[in-house]
Amino acid sequence: MVTEQERKLETIDINVNVGPQHPATHGVFRMVLTVSGERVVDVVPHIGYMHRGAEKLSENVDYRQGLIYQDRTEYLAQFNAEMCYCMAVERLAGLEPPERAQYIRIILSELNRITSHYMFIGAFATDTGVYGTAFTYAFREREYIQEIFDALTGDRMMYGYFRPGGVVWDVPADFKERVRWVCGQTRVGIDDIDRLLTTNEIFITRCRDIGVISRPDAIDYGLSGPMLRACGLPFDLRRNDPYSIYDRFEFDIPTGTHGDVYDRYLVRMEEMRQSVRIVEQALEQMPDGPIMPEKAPRRLRLPPGEVYMRTENPRGEYGIYLVSKGGEKPYRLKIRSACLSNLTALKQMIVGHYVADAVVILGSVDIVLGEVDR
Amino acid sequence: MTAPHEGPQEAPIVPPEPGTIADLFREALPDIEFVASQGPVDVMLTIDRKDVLQVLRTAKDDPQLDLKYLRCLLGVDHEEAGLEVVYQLYSFTHGHGVTLKTRLPQDDPRVASAASVWKGADWLERETAEMFGIVFEGHPNPVPLLLPDDMTDHHPLRKDNPLAQVEEWQGSRLGAAAANVGHVPAGYESIAGEGGEPEGPSGESGG
Repeated sequence: MVTEQERKLETIDINVNVGPQHPATHGVFRMVLTVSGERVVDVVPHIGYMHRGAEKLSENVDYRQGLIYQDRTEYLAQFNAEMCYCMAVERLAGLEPPERAQYIRIILSELNRITSHYMFIGAFATDTGVYGTAFTYAFREREYIQEIFDALTGDRMMYGYFRPGGVVWDVPADFKERVRWVCGQTRVGIDDIDRLLTTNEIFITRCRDIGVISRPDAIDYGLSGPMLRACGLPFDLRRNDPYSIYDRFEFDIPTGTHGDVYDRYLVRMEEMRQSVRIVEQALEQMPDGPIMPEKAPRRLRLPPGEVYMRTENPRGEYGIYLVSKGGEKPYRLKIRSACLSNLTALKQMIVGHYVADAVVILGSVDIVLGEVDR
Repeated sequence: MTAPHEGPQEAPIVPPEPGTIADLFREALPDIEFVASQGPVDVMLTIDRKDVLQVLRTAKDDPQLDLKYLRCLLGVDHEEAGLEVVYQLYSFTHGHGVTLKTRLPQDDPRVASAASVWKGADWLERETAEMFGIVFEGHPNPVPLLLPDDMTDHHPLRKDNPLAQVEEWQGSRLGAAAANVGHVPAGYESIAGEGGEPEGPSGESGG
């Protein structure tokens, strides 16, 4: 009850600055919250602290060198980003990767989706107050996959393993065996986290009906990936606009019903299971053979043309708009960032909620600042 | 510095097959001139900049087109051929997509803002504006997005703003500063001793 005396007190809205160096902003993201008491009445996001000009840099190196900027842009789903870049170049160059390379790419991209979602779950659970346990569980599981990437590419983060036309070298002899083991392990790991969080009452209370966004709004803002599917729209580029060899696999597209933070979490959990399914099918079907086309040129010169290539990355639609005017370098390379578009809806999602929920809502967007700022 | 692209060439215009989305646009907007070409994935339509807002509104609202999803908005600097703004659209209901393009002259890069059509266009236009110096007329909040707020005279993705070679950059920018390495401010000579003699400017070595 508000007493008469309290009602007469004069109150003012104050600005609370969060970030760019803040543990809850998942990188160098900054937002200025205007709060009235505990309620957020306005939010102004500030981005660009990690803008390194990846697009401009890509214009100044040739097509093989430009690949590494993809790793540095989307540093939690590097294989997915590399795949998008390679496919854009291949479309213009008229290259077709051999079957085996296609399967290797799919397996790695889907495993990368799992590691990226593990990262999300660990960080997101910390945001909601499940401090430590979920994070260490998720990172323990993530590490099993990370070790495969490490053994394959020699790097834990900046893989640079795909090439326009295929992949750089073949997978080691024990690759299939290790991936098969990790698939089983991931199922166990997801179930562990499932039991820890999904039915946890405190976790549900923190997430249910928080940061709701309606389906028309989600489309209007250009949301994609789990953010869009949580609103109930079963749109997945792997199914609706199939690229590479995704039309050969059976998998479901999980969707939510409320479009709230909890649905985004559930959609990502289910996506991990579906990724395991895809990897297992791909392992079964993977043929032997070459990993690069026989007549792949050493120096790639693209004919003039323009293409917009898009892939379904863990965070949504990742796109490369590539303009070539002939020669060895891109004339213009635009990276369509899923996170940037997902972040545009931040204000709509946060305003009206408590300050503590703002952190949870931001966590549910699953931003990677390298991709937002490029 | 060598030219980054020897002899830029334009892609030949290959008209799309009949029955593509280009025909739907012509049907919905018979008075507007479309230059259609078939890209490697999508059909590309070039329109005049004065028609941009009308075409985008129709693209979103016409039930035959129903392009509700603005995937991507970007700028391209074609040097003397002008600046280009590209809209990448998609329809969830029909499953079709299109690339819409419009050219703006270099000396007057103005185009109507799409922020009133799609909420998501807001940030994408802010980024394109700061990177290319394109003015989106009617934009609700035309401030830089990624770049510093006071960086309004510098458009990094324009072609007249080359990314210099590292050596060249060091030579021209650090040249003067590099010459100051070992420079001893007046009054500190006794502390610096004999080793503090400034070296001559190294104009061409640079690094």
